[in-house]
Amino acid sequence: MPSYTLTVNAEKRTVSVDSDTPLLWVLRDHLGLTGTKYGCGRGICGNCTVHYQGNAIRSCVLPITSVLEGNIVTIEGLSENENHPVQQAWMELDVPQCGYCQSGQIMATVDLLSKIKNPTDADINTAMQGVLCRCGTYSRIRKAIHRAASIQDK
Amino acid sequence: MKSTWDRRTFIKLTASASGALVAGVCLQSCTSGTVPATAHEFSPLIKIDTKGWVTLIAKNPEIGQGIKTSLPMILAEELGADWDKVKVIQGDFDKAYEEQWAGGSYAIILNWDMMRTAAAKVRHVLLQAASKKMNIRVSELTTSKGKVLHSESGESLPFEKLLLEASKLPLPETVEFKPTDSFEIIGKNTPQVDLDQLVSGGTKFSIDIKLPGMLYATVLKNPVFDGGAGDYDDTRTRSVNGVVDVIELNNSDYGGRLIAPNSPNFVNGIAVLAKSTWAAFKGAQVLDVVWDNADARKENTAEIFERFQLQLNDTTIERKDGDLSRAKRNADSNFEAMYQVPFLAHIPMEPMNCTVDFRDDLCEVWAPTQNPKALQEGLIKLFGLQPEQIKIHLPRIGGAFGRRYYVDYAMDAAILSKKVQKPVKLIWTREEDIRHDWYRPASIQKMAASLDKEGRVTGWQHVLANASRKTCLGREGRPAGTEIDKYEFPAGFVPDLQFEYGHVLSDVPLGQWRSVGHSAVAFAVHSFLDELAILSKMDPMDYFLEFLGPARMVPVVDDYAFDAKRLISVVEQVRRNSNWDVPLPKGQGRGFAASKHSGSFVAEVVTVSVDANENITILRVDAVVDCGIVINPTGAKAQVEGGILEGLSAALYGEITVKNGVAEQSNFHDYKWIRMDEAPEIHVEFITNNLPPRGLGEPPLPPAAPALTNAIFAATGKRIRKLPIL
Repeated sequence: MPSYTLTVNAEKRTVSVDSDTPLLWVLRDHLGLTGTKYGCGRGICGNCTVHYQGNAIRSCVLPITSVLEGNIVTIEGLSENENHPVQQAWMELDVPQCGYCQSGQIMATVDLLSKIKNPTDADINTAMQGVLCRCGTYSRIRKAIHRAASIQDK
Repeated sequence: MKSTWDRRTFIKLTASASGALVAGVCLQSCTSGTVPATAHEFSPLIKIDTKGWVTLIAKNPEIGQGIKTSLPMILAEELGADWDKVKVIQGDFDKAYEEQWAGGSYAIILNWDMMRTAAAKVRHVLLQAASKKMNIRVSELTTSKGKVLHSESGESLPFEKLLLEASKLPLPETVEFKPTDSFEIIGKNTPQVDLDQLVSGGTKFSIDIKLPGMLYATVLKNPVFDGGAGDYDDTRTRSVNGVVDVIELNNSDYGGRLIAPNSPNFVNGIAVLAKSTWAAFKGAQVLDVVWDNADARKENTAEIFERFQLQLNDTTIERKDGDLSRAKRNADSNFEAMYQVPFLAHIPMEPMNCTVDFRDDLCEVWAPTQNPKALQEGLIKLFGLQPEQIKIHLPRIGGAFGRRYYVDYAMDAAILSKKVQKPVKLIWTREEDIRHDWYRPASIQKMAASLDKEGRVTGWQHVLANASRKTCLGREGRPAGTEIDKYEFPAGFVPDLQFEYGHVLSDVPLGQWRSVGHSAVAFAVHSFLDELAILSKMDPMDYFLEFLGPARMVPVVDDYAFDAKRLISVVEQVRRNSNWDVPLPKGQGRGFAASKHSGSFVAEVVTVSVDANENITILRVDAVVDCGIVINPTGAKAQVEGGILEGLSAALYGEITVKNGVAEQSNFHDYKWIRMDEAPEIHVEFITNNLPPRGLGEPPLPPAAPALTNAIFAATGKRIRKLPIL
């Protein structure tokens, strides 16, 4: 099997996998970063969202060969002690229910706030509709995004 | 017994050492370099250490309902612990913890007294120990925030100072509970215990487990529910890098498709085992297989509904009050309507998966299950094991909604691990999850009412025909129960009333889905009441309140009575909260429904707008809930928000259709659910009282669908009698 070196959470990691292996399974099975979740395998539910070169991507459909050029950030790399403003807002509002989709929700939110500092509800709808939550935590997610926007520069 | 049982053995030893301090038990509170705390296990659920930390076992499966926080909160409250010095640890499946399952919104109902009793016994010995030390009578002492307090003198002793004395005292047989007005933890917004892990990817769900030497597996099931085994060529599969083995999973080797009631729906399949999940998925994709479906019934949804329709005329009477034919004869008018609901899938975000290490006749399981007992029973039945040979861990679960009451996926994993004598993590793809669910039963319901000249209901007939989850998979015989219960609303409220059930046999696997039968029944009942109100030219809420009659206890069946007063009060409150009486602009409408489920009363108002192209926007939902004492308001509110959104999602989109015995939907592109851009603002209020806490996972769901369709009627004049709406 070919060997690839990728940058995950600012660390160089080398793995031997087939060239078509989606980033999701590289993270989960080979690098032990299980915070990124499998939900649909087709880029529909967004539970596998991570950042590549500063943009939110669906790791379940992107093969390893397409993410070798820049830094990949996963939920584990967001902060040292859950002190990223988005994580802080999530905890303040007690957002998760089952919690399974929340890595994807948080990574999509961090991406949104990096592009729009104070998103409107319409911005939130556009940015977040790709991440499915089966438990129905959307109203808390919306509040947490506004809250994170308000605390991010403090 | 092999070495992996060490931990279990250790726990037993410490438990048997009760009466003495267990030396050197390092709890999670100790960090390296500090002196280890010693702890005493007062009961299987409660441990206190010499540094004052209280360790509580969360015994039930956590599926997102917040039980890992709320049950320990009850323990901590009754103990008088300091919540900031409480550690919560998820318990394994263990008979020491008694009932351990998630279903029917029963966890709080069943455990309210049990948790309080366990903690009150420990409080009792702490008080006795303090009484001796302080030389103050027990009756003058209380516990609060991890201390025993003498409020008169202000003297106090922390639990850790009482540990040695208290650990020598026997726990009492009977206890008195703390008065509800002295609660310090119950009723306070308490963020869930795993929050920091959940926001940082640290939580280990079952799907995240990794064991040394573990193989990854997936399974390709015969898409036909009752299909036979596959004839396959695995050459291409075995040529995939990382694929290790291909193993048949034929139900004929394990006692047939249905092993026991509420046990695995064992659909024939072929598993691929590999060194990574991706290799297993790829191997399954290229497997050449021809399934033997010669004996399959190959049902279609349209034909199933035709059979339901016919069965409406051939029913058994499940409840008969008074004389329905008399009511019909004497009525000023009679009105009838038919309602239809579809099969629904559960689609929890964490797909079906299970990790099993089944070697040397010892079976260790990490399972996302609501029902570990059924899992244990399944393993006993399939492999002839003794309970002592099975260990079941209960990692946090990524959603369940009733699906994980059934343990079919865990049986697959156990078979594979036993075969290869290695730990195996099995993951079903999303496609397998949706095609091989235990669906919410579809049904057709006929409602008939007799009305007097004021439009009051004098006779009520509710006929439900469907294939029952209680005989699912059957081709002959009667159901063990029906999908309409004799205590269904409005039993007791109408003098001449009849419930009937028409039983149809089908091979579509059916099961519990959040709120179970009520999800279908409430749609028909509360749509019909809305129709009767409109027919009688009355405001639907006024009509409903008049229908309920005076605030009183309404006898329903045996010693079960319905407290009409509690239902009336949630309706009156939701009327105020939703501005029900303030007119809306054209194209908007409000709909209402209120019901009782698992002892809790919920009233909901949905406000919608519908544009000229019939695009529906849900603007707002108001809910008022009386579930008795609210243990954790933030968690309770989450359950209401989630239940309502689930009811609305299903009403808008939820539908599994069957063609030639195969579910036609397979992933989130064709099984749609509400997303962020469609999620309404939900306003929740709880009625405050000191009544025993009741269920909350399910009760908010049933009113949501009829409240929505009633709102659409109010906005457009269009009545929806068949779900889904879109």
